[in-house]
Amino acid sequence: MNTALDKPRLFRYTYEKYRKVIVVFLLIVFVFVFGKIALPTFLSVEQVFMTVKLASFTALFGLCQMIVVAGGGGGLDLSVGYNATLTAVITASLMDGRDERLAIALLIAVAFGIMIGLANGALTSYLRLPPLVVTLAMADILQGIVNAYVAGKAITGRPAPILVSLAAKLTGKFPNILFVLIPTAVLVTLLLNRSKWGQILFGVGANERTAHLSGINVKKVRCIAFVVSGVLASVIGLLLLGNMGIAFKDMGSNYVLPSIAAVVIGGVSLNGGSGNYLGVILGAVFLQALTNMLIAFGLGDAGKWMTFGIILFLVLSFYASNRRSR
Amino acid sequence: MDRVTKEKGFPLTRLFFKPESSSMFILIVMLIINIVLQKNFFETKSIVRNINAFAPLILLAMGQAIVIVSGGLDLSSGAALSLFTCVLTTVMKQNEPITGFYALLVTFAIALMVGIVNGIGIGYLRIPPVIVTFATSYIWLGIALFLRPTPGGETVGWFRIFYRARSVEGIPALIRTMDNFIPPALILVLIGCLLWFVVSRTRTGRYVYAVGSNMESAYVSGIDTAKTQMLACVMNAVFIFLAALFFVAQNQSGDARMGGPLTIKSIAAVVVGGISLFGGRGSIYFALVGAMILELVSKIIFFADIPNAYQTLVSGIIVIVAIAGPAYVMFNKEKR
Repeated sequence: MNTALDKPRLFRYTYEKYRKVIVVFLLIVFVFVFGKIALPTFLSVEQVFMTVKLASFTALFGLCQMIVVAGGGGGLDLSVGYNATLTAVITASLMDGRDERLAIALLIAVAFGIMIGLANGALTSYLRLPPLVVTLAMADILQGIVNAYVAGKAITGRPAPILVSLAAKLTGKFPNILFVLIPTAVLVTLLLNRSKWGQILFGVGANERTAHLSGINVKKVRCIAFVVSGVLASVIGLLLLGNMGIAFKDMGSNYVLPSIAAVVIGGVSLNGGSGNYLGVILGAVFLQALTNMLIAFGLGDAGKWMTFGIILFLVLSFYASNRRSR
Repeated sequence: MDRVTKEKGFPLTRLFFKPESSSMFILIVMLIINIVLQKNFFETKSIVRNINAFAPLILLAMGQAIVIVSGGLDLSSGAALSLFTCVLTTVMKQNEPITGFYALLVTFAIALMVGIVNGIGIGYLRIPPVIVTFATSYIWLGIALFLRPTPGGETVGWFRIFYRARSVEGIPALIRTMDNFIPPALILVLIGCLLWFVVSRTRTGRYVYAVGSNMESAYVSGIDTAKTQMLACVMNAVFIFLAALFFVAQNQSGDARMGGPLTIKSIAAVVVGGISLFGGRGSIYFALVGAMILELVSKIIFFADIPNAYQTLVSGIIVIVAIAGPAYVMFNKEKR
């Protein structure tokens, strides 16, 4: 494809594609430098790794989100966090801190993910219901199942030690969760940009009609995107359980909207047809760095959320906006 | 489009084939179940209690519906509601009745600002509504927490007029007797309906639908799409303001986190009311029906002795059924 482009145009093409990634990266650097100036202890290797570690869960949920978003058709998956909660709550009592039960937990997680993803995908693509409502209602249903499951009793069980060391522990200063995130990122980037599947997904998202005329089963592709998102979300639920050590009722729900924010900040259009996982990861890191900085400043809840909202609004208005040029 | 062209046919049959008829049907079923389960359903007391319980969600859902019909979405409505309750209770001083008026004015001004900020994000900057109102919800939450870190605050005595007018001292006897039959919550809802009734007769009302159903053609037809979406957001804020009046009168306090769960509920109510999330379709008044359905469902769950834990589960299923049912019928029609 690139052979048709001469050098300057290739450069511009690459630049356009990665412009927002560069912007997010600069934003992150800015947050850290600003934090360092105001608060000398803010910038350190530990601090950076800590930020990345905390951000990695938002980034992983952002992957689910990005795949569904890239498929177009107003795709969004608001059920990811709840899906993760359900998996974590149910597998926690099952694993009960034993490694040999991890395989069966993983199996259950994948099964849950497929079921939830299929339900989301079938309702949105085959019945053509708006993904926002379907996944919202799905979120309610999943949270409802969790509520009913834990009603009147304590949630018991611990994650398998492997999960704990994978999600929560550090190797030296290096958080182990990055051993999950980095290979995932490389694999996803390769799959999306160098494989048939990526092209099909982007093709469906960019122009449903063209894709259909090219012989692609649009509905099936979108349905599969939801299934992939569901399976990933369930598996992330296991990692989240490993990180937290215990399961609780709303352990995953707080990641849902930040994951969408990370996708948008990462430069992925919510209209579909594009995707850039590196950007999404950086978007998640930016959100986390911003939160950390505001906490480090000791602003308290009020100041923290107000500033977070204002900065997010400003960042969005600078480059997620689609202003009309007159 | 069916809004613009004059529809033919006998009114009743026309009504039956409207997309909203399924939500009307669900509402009737829910009402019947409720009447069966609750023995004193038709007593004035329980009707008043029901209206009081339903009013906040009805107001939020109607506001949300206007934004959704105009092609937007408001994830910040619950946070805005909390913010308004905090502002009201901060400005008011218990022993100075005049502060009640100041509170109303200040909060109304803030409501307009909230609407304008959301409107700038959705309309003028054209940031995806999901994400921009997510950002603003943090701003409202932050300001609300700044004003009121813990729930509380003071209200003036006469503020209860928005909840139970007869408990206000020195109120005219006429209003006192009227209050036994017409609760203030109903009047707030009626004010909301009237507001939309007036707006829907104006050009703006038409524009809201035009912009929501096809932004590009509305734009090239010379409609100021950005302004229309902003006005929709401002109207939404006014509806939230009305709901805030009720909450503060009822609870006598402000709470920075009380509105959170209501956001999702209001969107669900809009959807159950048969309003398309893609914008441009559906009747704003049916948000009221949707909100009533959701509230009746929670009541049924309460009366049927189903544990409270199942409430979210059931409401989620109801939303899916309410939107999947009509879509499934359409799907079969297309196949033939």
